[in-house]
Amino acid sequence: MSATTDTTISLPLVPSDEELAIRTAVRDIVEGFGADYARRCYEAGEPPSAMWKALAEQGFVGINVPEEWGGGGLGMWGLQLVGEELAAAGGATLMLVVSSAMSGSILPRHGTDAQKERWLRGVAAGTTKLAFAITEPDAGTNSHNLRTELRRDGDRYLLRGQKTYISGVEDAEGILVVSRLRHDDGTLGKPTLAIIDVDGPGFSRDEIPMPYLGPDKQWTLYFDDVVVEADRLLGGEEAGLGVLFDALNPERIIAAALANGMARRAIDQATKYANEREVWGQPIGAHQSVAHPLAEAKVEMEMTRLMTQKAAVLFDAGSPLAGEASNMAKYAAAKAAVHAVDAGIQAHGGNGFALEYGMSDMWWPARLMRTAPVSEQMVLNHVAQHSLGLPKSY
Amino acid sequence: MKIAVLVKEVPDAAVEKRIDASGRLDRSGEKNLNPYDTHAIEAAVQLKEGGTIPVEEIVAITAGPAGAERALHKAVSLGADRSVLLSDDAVAGSDVIATGYALAKLLERESPDLVLLGQQSDDGENYTIGAVVGEFLGYPSLTQVVKLDIAGETITAERQAEYGYDTVEIDLPAVISVGDAINEPRYPSLKAIMGAKKKPLEKITIADAGIEADKVGAAGSKIECGNFTEPPKKSGGTIIEDEDTSATVEQIVAWLDERKLI
Ligand SMILES: Cc1cc2nc3c(=O)[nH]c(=O)nc-3n(C[C@H](O)[C@H](O)[C@H](O)COP(=O)(O)OP(=O)(O)OC[C@H]3O[C@@H](n4cnc5c(N)ncnc54)[C@H](O)[C@@H]3O)c2cc1C
Repeated sequence: MSATTDTTISLPLVPSDEELAIRTAVRDIVEGFGADYARRCYEAGEPPSAMWKALAEQGFVGINVPEEWGGGGLGMWGLQLVGEELAAAGGATLMLVVSSAMSGSILPRHGTDAQKERWLRGVAAGTTKLAFAITEPDAGTNSHNLRTELRRDGDRYLLRGQKTYISGVEDAEGILVVSRLRHDDGTLGKPTLAIIDVDGPGFSRDEIPMPYLGPDKQWTLYFDDVVVEADRLLGGEEAGLGVLFDALNPERIIAAALANGMARRAIDQATKYANEREVWGQPIGAHQSVAHPLAEAKVEMEMTRLMTQKAAVLFDAGSPLAGEASNMAKYAAAKAAVHAVDAGIQAHGGNGFALEYGMSDMWWPARLMRTAPVSEQMVLNHVAQHSLGLPKSY
Repeated sequence: MKIAVLVKEVPDAAVEKRIDASGRLDRSGEKNLNPYDTHAIEAAVQLKEGGTIPVEEIVAITAGPAGAERALHKAVSLGADRSVLLSDDAVAGSDVIATGYALAKLLERESPDLVLLGQQSDDGENYTIGAVVGEFLGYPSLTQVVKLDIAGETITAERQAEYGYDTVEIDLPAVISVGDAINEPRYPSLKAIMGAKKKPLEKITIADAGIEADKVGAAGSKIECGNFTEPPKKSGGTIIEDEDTSATVEQIVAWLDERKLI
C-alpha cells in the first residue's frame, strides 16, 4: 500500500486455490443472472443492480480495498480477477472500473480518515458507487487543456464547467471530478480532485446515445457553480498528476482485465460453435482459416492476461514501473479483445450478427477499450517518449 | 447439536466422464465439490442460522484422494466449521457398501446428532450412500428430503417421491440425504474463501478411524466393474415445421396416438 517498492512481491504464475475459488464464485454469481442479463438491463434502461448487489454482498466489488476499510485487501491483483471473470461471464460493467478500481485505489492513498469513512467504506461494500469525470469536450486526450474550474468562495468552492462521456452517472451517488483551481492571478492550477453529489444544485446531465456497450450509460455533465465543501477535495487544493495517477493506473489495469474477459468469452463461445457447426460434413473448426484466428486470439489473450497481472502486482507493490505496465496492458488487451471478438463473429457467419448469439454484443464493448479510458495512440506516445526515449510528439 | 455433512470431490460437470484402463472413473481432469453436496451444507448452515435449535458445529467429512482437500476447503468456505479427510490408498476402489462402511466409521469418531448429505454424487450417481451409512450406524435414514424441521429430538421432513410428498417424522440421530430442491445454496464470500485454509482440516488414515482394511477398497468390495460400452446413440427426434398450426396439432396428436400415449 505504501509508495515504497516491495521487491518481495512477485507475480504468481500458478493459480492458488483461493484464486480459483474467487474466479469460480464470481463467474457463478454472474452466470446465475443469465447470459443476456446485461442486455436486458440495457434494454430496460436500468443499471445491473441485482448483479452488483450479489457480487458486493460476497465481498467481490471491494476486493481491492484495504481490509481496515471493509474491503478484501487483495489490491489490483484481486480486482483484476473479478474484472476478468465478470466480463468472461458477460457481466462487464464500467462501474467496476470507475468506482471499485479508481475510487477504491485513490481514496485509501489520498483520502483523509473522514473521507475514507464517508466514501471508501461504501465503495468497499459496493453500497456507494462513484463515477469519474476527467474528459471534457475540448480536453479528452489533452488533459493539460482541462477547463473545468474551481473557484474559492469563502471556505468552500464553486465548480463550473462541462464533462463528457462520463460512465455510470445514472447509478452513482457521487462523481470524482477532475478540475483546476482558478488562482487569484487568473491562471489555472494543477489538477484538483473533488467528490461531488450526483444531481445536486447546479448539476445537470444529458445522456449520450450509444450502441450496446454493456449496461452502463454515458453522460455529458454540466456544473453551474456547484458548491464543493472543502472536505470534498481529495489530496488538497492542487493534488496534481501524481495523485491522479493513483486512480488512472488502476483504471487501465481493470479496463485491461475486462478486455481480457471479453476476449475469453468470445474465444470460448466461438470455439464451441466452431466445434459444433457443420457446413461441409465436418465442424467448421476443421478449416484452418476458422481455427487459426481463434488460436491467434488465444495466444494474444494469454499474453495480455500476463501483462495485466504484472501491472496489477506492480501497482500493489507501489512500484514506479506500474504506470508503464498498466498502459501496455490496456493497449494490448484492447487489441487482443478486438481481434478475439472479430474472429468470433467471423466464425459465427451470419449468426455472428444475430442478437440471439450474443457475439455482436461483444463488439462495441471490446472496441471501446481501444479508445477509452486512454486512447491507443496516447499509450504509444507515452511508450515512445518515456520507455524508449524518443522525442516528445505533442 | 453437531451436524456432519458428507461431501465428495467429483470430476467437474464440464469434464467428459471416461473410464480409465483399470475400469475406474478417470479423475485426472478438473475436479469440484459434488454440486449436490452444496445443498446439504446449505441445509446445515440454515439450521445453524435459523436458531430454533442450537448448532455448535458443522463438520464436513470426506473419503478421497489427497487432492480432495480442495473439496473440503470449498465445503468450509460454504459454511462448515472444520473438516475431516480420510485419505488412504486402501480406500481407493471401494464400492457403495465399502464406502458407506468407511464413512460410518468416520462418523462414529464424531458422533454427530445429524448427518446430512446430497441426494447423489455427480459421478457415481448411486443415490444410496445415505441409506448404507444409516444402516452401519444404526440410525434411521431418509432420502430425497426437500424440507427439514427439527424440534427437540424430532425431525419432521418432507420427502419428494414420484407420487408427491411424504411427510415423515423421525428421531435424532439420523442420516438425511437432501434433494436439490431443498434450498438454493449460497455462493462463497471472499472472506470465507480466504479463510477456508485457516479452519481445521484433519487428515486421517484407516488405522486412525479403526477401519478394517479388508472391508474397504477393491478387497472389501463385492461389486466388480468391467465390460464398459458406450451408451447407444439416441436417434434424432422428429421435427415438425409449424407451417399451418392446425395441421401441426393433427400431426402431434397422431404421433401420440400411435404410441398409445393419449
Ligand atoms: C463509452 C465511453 C465511456 C467513457 N467513460 C469515461 C468516463 O467515465 N470518464 C471520463 O472522464 N472519460 C470517459 N470517456 C472518455 C474517453 O476517455 C475519451 O473519449 C478518450 O480519452 C479520448 O478522448 P477524446 O474523446 O477527447 O478524443 P480526442 O482527444 O479528441 O482525440 C481524438 C483522436 O485523436 C487522437 N489523438 C489526440 N491527440 C493525439 C496525439 N497527441 N497523438 C496521437 N493521437 C492523438 C486520439 O488518440 C483519438 O484517436 C469515455 C469514452 C467513451 C467512448
